[in-house]
Amino acid sequence: MRDSLGRAGDASLRSGSSPRESAAAAESSLRDATPASAVALLEYRGADVGYSGSLVVRGADLSVRAGEVVGLVGPNGAGKSTLLRAVTGDAELLGGEIVLAGRGVRTLPPLERARIVAVLTQQVSGAFSVSARDFVAMGRHPHIARFSAPSDHDRDVVQRAMMLTDTLRLADKPADQLSGGDLQRLALAQALAQEPRVLLLDEPTSHLDLNHRMQVLDLTRSLADEGMAVLAVFHDLDLAARYSDRIAIVDSGRLGMAESPERVITADALRDVFGVRAVVGTDVVTGAVSVTPVLREAAVMGETRGRVMVIGGSGVAAPLMRRLVLEGWEVSSGALNVGDADQVMAEALRVEYAQIPPFAPMDSEAGITAAKLAKRADAIVVCEVPFGRGNVDNLLVAVHAGKPLVLVGDIPGRDFVGGAAESYWAEALDGGAVRIDDIDAVEWALSHVLAGFQVAD
Amino acid sequence: MFLLTLGLLVAIVSGTAFGAVPLPLSEVIAAIGRGVRGLPTGLAGTVVIDVRLPRVLLAALVGASLAGAGTLYQALFRNPLADPYILGISSGAGLGAMIALVLTAGATALRFGAVPVAAFAGAMLTMLLVVRLANVRGRLDPTSLLLAGVALSYTLAAVTSFVMVLAREQMAAIVYWMMGGFSAATWGYVIMIAPMFVLGVLVPLLSTRELDLMLLGDERAGHLGLSVERFKLVMLAAASLLTAAAVAVAGLIGFVGLMVPHMVRIVLGPDHRRLLPASLLTGAIVLVLADLIARTIIAPIEIPVGIVTAVLGGPFFIWLLVRGERSR
Repeated sequence: MRDSLGRAGDASLRSGSSPRESAAAAESSLRDATPASAVALLEYRGADVGYSGSLVVRGADLSVRAGEVVGLVGPNGAGKSTLLRAVTGDAELLGGEIVLAGRGVRTLPPLERARIVAVLTQQVSGAFSVSARDFVAMGRHPHIARFSAPSDHDRDVVQRAMMLTDTLRLADKPADQLSGGDLQRLALAQALAQEPRVLLLDEPTSHLDLNHRMQVLDLTRSLADEGMAVLAVFHDLDLAARYSDRIAIVDSGRLGMAESPERVITADALRDVFGVRAVVGTDVVTGAVSVTPVLREAAVMGETRGRVMVIGGSGVAAPLMRRLVLEGWEVSSGALNVGDADQVMAEALRVEYAQIPPFAPMDSEAGITAAKLAKRADAIVVCEVPFGRGNVDNLLVAVHAGKPLVLVGDIPGRDFVGGAAESYWAEALDGGAVRIDDIDAVEWALSHVLAGFQVAD
Repeated sequence: MFLLTLGLLVAIVSGTAFGAVPLPLSEVIAAIGRGVRGLPTGLAGTVVIDVRLPRVLLAALVGASLAGAGTLYQALFRNPLADPYILGISSGAGLGAMIALVLTAGATALRFGAVPVAAFAGAMLTMLLVVRLANVRGRLDPTSLLLAGVALSYTLAAVTSFVMVLAREQMAAIVYWMMGGFSAATWGYVIMIAPMFVLGVLVPLLSTRELDLMLLGDERAGHLGLSVERFKLVMLAAASLLTAAAVAVAGLIGFVGLMVPHMVRIVLGPDHRRLLPASLLTGAIVLVLADLIARTIIAPIEIPVGIVTAVLGGPFFIWLLVRGERSR
């Protein structure tokens, strides 16, 4: 089970006062004791879901077990919400089966369904001025017999649900005058008042500020840890990775396998599914997978401007590489150390480069690779990187490639190899390299040297 | 609730006491007392028992029906501007009732059965049509709902006029009936709509918690365990039954169904356990008093009660619209 920072305290909705309650508590602790794989509370079995005959997601297979949070991610309109909505009949189940706590949803009466599953959607309406407490109390509806009044137990459950969601101070306010965020948490309280075994969240934090977003998700996490099965649609991949035990991608009418965030959220998956080149790393604080989008595939210029090699390192070339890729250049790079900011960017951008281990100097193999890449380039840009024994061969490769050359900045102060870098630099300038002061002039310099080169040909 | 019940009793008694021939309160109560015990009642008694009491009771039933229907429509459509009149459902019931009136011109006994049934059929058909028209891709759009209602009530009014032209010899009576009034009230009418009223009110009164859930929207109500489609159909049928009951005996009386639930909601809040019974009582009081005004203000001439409610209700409706615009 994944850990999360800042647990929302004891999230138990069960009082343990009556025999029925303690039985429920015992059952829930039993569920905690057994491995999470024991009880599948929500199962999609080859489910086709959609609206009035038009299929949105076909053949979905997924099993959400007691005690786990499963996240659904995917592009807008892929059918994540449709999958959730089919459980409660808001979208149609056109084929296959969805099973809730062992019972097919097609034949499950709404009242019984409402005792098993609760839903929190993005849009919550607070029509007419019901007080916040009465609004939450509506969640008790499936538990109160027809013609009977709410019991003390019902009131206790409502009180606790409001406490957990930090909505007690709103209790007497009319629901239609609350902010979107308050209303969202109130809707969660209403859902918790149902005492569900399965919780469906459709982008539960869309209206919430940073504090309440963490509060709601931490709460969800601890509810799952106590035995609830949670299926949640996430827009934010970082949040999905941080709070989910398993993640499944919904894309092009298909639901992928639910696996650990590390296995599902990869640079390749992001490119294929979202059309985004991204850096996928590990969040230093939470240890969860973290995604930093770099550029949109669709934003890359269609026409190819030419091939350019960028000599960088220590992150000095990352913004330039991104910009050149966006403008339609086919970019390559010299040797880069694994873990270097420029290397991370090169991976995300799928820029070809010669890879060397962290902190290691360039070896002959890296030098050969770099030279091959230089040979294929139409022009080479040398960024303002300090040259030491480990990387001066990058400069050597660039200068000796015989390609139009753009040099950024000045060499004094950057030569840590006793004058070798300075002499390569001078050689390049003698050979007709263009020197510019800053990285913003690179595009201009490139068009300049390429035009000049063509004339010289 | 107790105050409202008391208010209704006071309204009924004063509605019986005042009129073209004012009668002292003691005599009214004495006459009712004698009538209940089956004793001869004299002239004053005849006025009270045979003329005024059925009229006042009928007004009370119709007022309660309209207010009840308005409350239901407002909850089911989540639209504060919904009422049987504005949604065109009164017009539908009216057309149904009028066709029945014209067809049964000679047979009074038949009329008592045919008119309410036809009114109910007209109300139900109109309601289904309005809902169908306002349904944009599975969602009931509030603006479309009102537009469809208004448009449909114009169309129905045209058809009604056409039927009237065909049945020229009864035109005066029909026009008077359409403007809304209780001048023809008899015990027969009271007995005719009482069962419709009881049925139309009982089912919603037993479903107040479900009506509360409807305020959250169809989807959310479904998540909390309500079989939304079935529930809506039953409640809309109840509302149409109430509308039909009112229209069958009193013609078109506007704005009661709109105003009353609103006023009650402002005072008591949206909880249907209180809102619905309080609306029924208030609707009864309002219409009894409106009818009292209608027959005493320029006595001995009576004006149709529909005029009184429209004069009060029109400005109220505009105020609601303007307030809604501002709060947006």
